[in-house]
Amino acid sequence: MNESPSGPRGRSVSSGDDADRAVLALVTAGQLDALQELYDRYRVMAYSIAFRITTDASLAEDVVQDAFLGVWRNASRYVEARGSVKTWVLSIVHHRAVDAVRRRRPTAELPEREDIPPAALTLPDVWQEVSSNLDRAEIATALATLSDVQREAIELAYWGGLTQQEIAERTGAPLGTVKSRVRLGLLALRRALGGDEGRAESLAGDAPS
Amino acid sequence: MTCDQARDLAAGYVLGALERSEEAAVRAHLATCDQPHPEFGELGSVVPALLELDESELVEPPTALRDRIMAAAAADLAARGEQMSAAPAAPAAERAITFPDAGDRARRAERREATRASRFDWALRIAAVLAIVGIGAWGLNLQGQLDRARTFDQAVVAVVHAAGQPGAKTVILSPQKGQHGAGIAAVAADGSVVLAMQDLQATTGTQVYTAWVIVGSNAPVSLGDFDVDAGGTRGFTTKPTTAPAGATIAVTLEQNPGNTAPQGPIVSAGVAAAPPGSSG
Repeated sequence: MNESPSGPRGRSVSSGDDADRAVLALVTAGQLDALQELYDRYRVMAYSIAFRITTDASLAEDVVQDAFLGVWRNASRYVEARGSVKTWVLSIVHHRAVDAVRRRRPTAELPEREDIPPAALTLPDVWQEVSSNLDRAEIATALATLSDVQREAIELAYWGGLTQQEIAERTGAPLGTVKSRVRLGLLALRRALGGDEGRAESLAGDAPS
Repeated sequence: MTCDQARDLAAGYVLGALERSEEAAVRAHLATCDQPHPEFGELGSVVPALLELDESELVEPPTALRDRIMAAAAADLAARGEQMSAAPAAPAAERAITFPDAGDRARRAERREATRASRFDWALRIAAVLAIVGIGAWGLNLQGQLDRARTFDQAVVAVVHAAGQPGAKTVILSPQKGQHGAGIAAVAADGSVVLAMQDLQATTGTQVYTAWVIVGSNAPVSLGDFDVDAGGTRGFTTKPTTAPAGATIAVTLEQNPGNTAPQGPIVSAGVAAAPPGSSG
């Protein structure tokens, strides 16, 4: 549904995407300078995401290193149809950063670090993006259309690394309510970002519980 | 997990807000379920937008992070090379390399044979050098050492790049007796020699290091001069030359730049070899 280039906000493949794919192909072939190129393209975003989630400079460095090593070892697992290289790389950073902050929490239901095979990379799924060329202002405007509780739930989940259960405990809201807030918040964002033209019926029946 | 359970977790899943065990269960369900689950793509499509941070939130990472990542990747590459190659790399043969004089054709032919016999897997050797750089960089704390490692790392990357070109030759330069300085080099497609050297003594005054190519029993041909600071590492790309497999690449320490015949001692040298499988 987002593949159509029609409309001012349709997904358009930027030349950056093509260049990224070329660089990633070289990474797959084991070229170190290609990895360095990829790192230099996304180091600021990667580190900023890791820092925002971990709020710890040294942990953020570990996360970024871990993520780029994951990219280095698993570049062949990137699937073009599922999103841009940029999103793929940054999603890996995000996922690893969330793992890092959860590991720090006493209540974390995470295996001990030693139990995680270091080479195994849990790659997050990358979704066909609503648009690959949104600017920050559009996104801020879209976020502003969410209710405060929806925004808070998404914020705690995505940047706080909290599970929905933890958000429920933190905010005092029932788990079902938290789930609804997250879902409706995402749908509102999607609407605001112009990604729901011809939206499927599949979500229509999901009223808040 | 049922389809309904998966749907119930979709929003949490795309945000990464599930326990990782729940996440794995959802992933397993999606991988095996024959029902369509469009809600995942629909809810997930806005998640990449969340990654666009405000400019005020952007932070430049420390420059040392790049070196750590590149060193770790280089070590990983070296480990891969070791796994792929059943035969361990032959140690660099201890050979004294001297400049040719009249009548040493026979000796040279012999040396060429020795080179062929001990032909190394060049990729593995480069990987091994990278691994040394990588492992070294982990424990480095002093900025000077880091700078040195970075200089050498970048030089090695340039060598690896040149070595990957069609028709390229590679050279492992070993320190000669009583001398310091080792490195790797590649003769690039255009004939220039890309060198990455370390452990060299710093040049002082008008001193320079000069790179030479020696083909057969011809006289050495100068490829250019370079200086070295206290760090002892140096990347250098010479002017184009003709260096077939078996040619010697040597580095001498000269008291003045521009010498057309070597006056000083050979510091480090090695023999150009074509990668296995090529016709060089």
